[in-house]
Amino acid sequence: MEQPFDIGYVFHFIPKLLSTLGTTLSIVAGSLLLGLAVGLLAALPRLYRVPVLQRVSRLYVSFFRGTPILIQLFLLYFGLPELLKQAGADISKTPVIVFVILTYGLHAGASVCEMIRAAVTAVDRGQVEAAYAVGMTGYRAFTRIVFPQAIAIALPVFSNLLLALTKETSLAFTLGVMEMTGKAQSLTTLTQHFLEAYLALALVYFAVCFTMEKLLLRAERRLLKHERQESEARKRFRSWKKLQWRRYSPEFPPGGRRQGYEA
Amino acid sequence: MIQLKGITKSFGRQQVLKGIGLTVEKGEVVVILGPSGSGKTTLLRCINYLEKPGGGEIRIGDCRVDCRAASKKDIRELRKRTAMVFQQYNLFRHKTALENVMEGLVVVQKVPKEEARARSVQLLEKVGLGAKLDAYPSQLSGGQQQRVGIARALALNPEVILFDEPTSALDPELVGEVLAVIRKIAKEGITMIIVTHEMGFAQDVANHVIFMDEGVVVEEGRPNEIFTSPKEERTKQFLKRFTPEGVYSI
Repeated sequence: MEQPFDIGYVFHFIPKLLSTLGTTLSIVAGSLLLGLAVGLLAALPRLYRVPVLQRVSRLYVSFFRGTPILIQLFLLYFGLPELLKQAGADISKTPVIVFVILTYGLHAGASVCEMIRAAVTAVDRGQVEAAYAVGMTGYRAFTRIVFPQAIAIALPVFSNLLLALTKETSLAFTLGVMEMTGKAQSLTTLTQHFLEAYLALALVYFAVCFTMEKLLLRAERRLLKHERQESEARKRFRSWKKLQWRRYSPEFPPGGRRQGYEA
Repeated sequence: MIQLKGITKSFGRQQVLKGIGLTVEKGEVVVILGPSGSGKTTLLRCINYLEKPGGGEIRIGDCRVDCRAASKKDIRELRKRTAMVFQQYNLFRHKTALENVMEGLVVVQKVPKEEARARSVQLLEKVGLGAKLDAYPSQLSGGQQQRVGIARALALNPEVILFDEPTSALDPELVGEVLAVIRKIAKEGITMIIVTHEMGFAQDVANHVIFMDEGVVVEEGRPNEIFTSPKEERTKQFLKRFTPEGVYSI
């Protein structure tokens, strides 16, 4: 029987959900680390056009981008033990969360691969040439010149990826992992307050994602400080000019302003 | 001393360099002139292997490289002996002016940081940017960026500096400051190979002028000879468009 809505339950549920925030965050952190490593490994052969490996990488990326994460979870959870059994290894005692992290890691890796590829290609070719001309090796040119710039370019995409990943971990409950969504599910069966539980859940997810978003935005600003065009002096001049304009703008005849712009 | 022998280069089926030979003595300033597409820039980029030549031989000082069998090490040796100033400046965008100049010293030549910093500051002062040490490229004008580029090249203390149309991307107003810096360092006896379209500057700064067209050296000689009494018809034709009675000066 469904219970009548009671806002009090929302506040009652939030701390209970927060108690499983750790699980959610460790899935996110684990799969992110794995994803970054796998993504970089997958991106390199494609950036450097390594014959066979680039095919493999392409296949990997299109598989993990082209199938739903839910199906991937099931495939790995049920398929991997089966596959390893053939090879003579028994992993039936492995905790579920390992499968979850593995799946999300591989899933994130596909996006990371594309992110890295896009970012590295976006760094001007002239930067590499300059690095070579200075006498750097290919490795040095990549690590000292291309990669730092690529990171700054990739960060907005990375924010997207991280937020999506955080939200997608909610599907881990389907395998019975007690992360936040799993917890919310059990709270609803316990109390029958569905709406309150999911409202509380939404609030917690939002708060987590909002914090991440802000932090990453700050990082982005820091990493892109070299692209900031204006010196302090120019900034001051601009704000001064804006002030002047505000002072005079009311005197512009109505309708005449647009013309003034185009002239 | 720099010596090129029979340098060839093709892009696909189009042959851009058809066996270029060239000798540059120590301390000499060589200017390469020629119409667009004549292969000047490609030749310059072949010297430090930003383009891989199809064949020929490159010799810089004690380093001799056969272009057909150049190893990675050979290429690095060539690059250590050369420095390049690019048309598009190509400063490292995420590094300040000072860091740009220091980068090669610290990372490639393993000069201790303090020493590298002192030398870099000195060079930036020399190109007139002592006040812009901590500015990022995006905060500098084109002329200032190019001067940082020149300081970066000087810092490496190379046997030769290659200038690839150093003023072609600049506002006419900013060309002067860059040419002035190049003139200044030319007087110090640094070996340079310059590809440029600034005829007045070329005449003024060069010890030796090379005129290229369609992948071959058409004519070479002292600037006075080339500019006042070119022998080849193609050279005459080219120079006629550029120098209306020496009005063109910076």
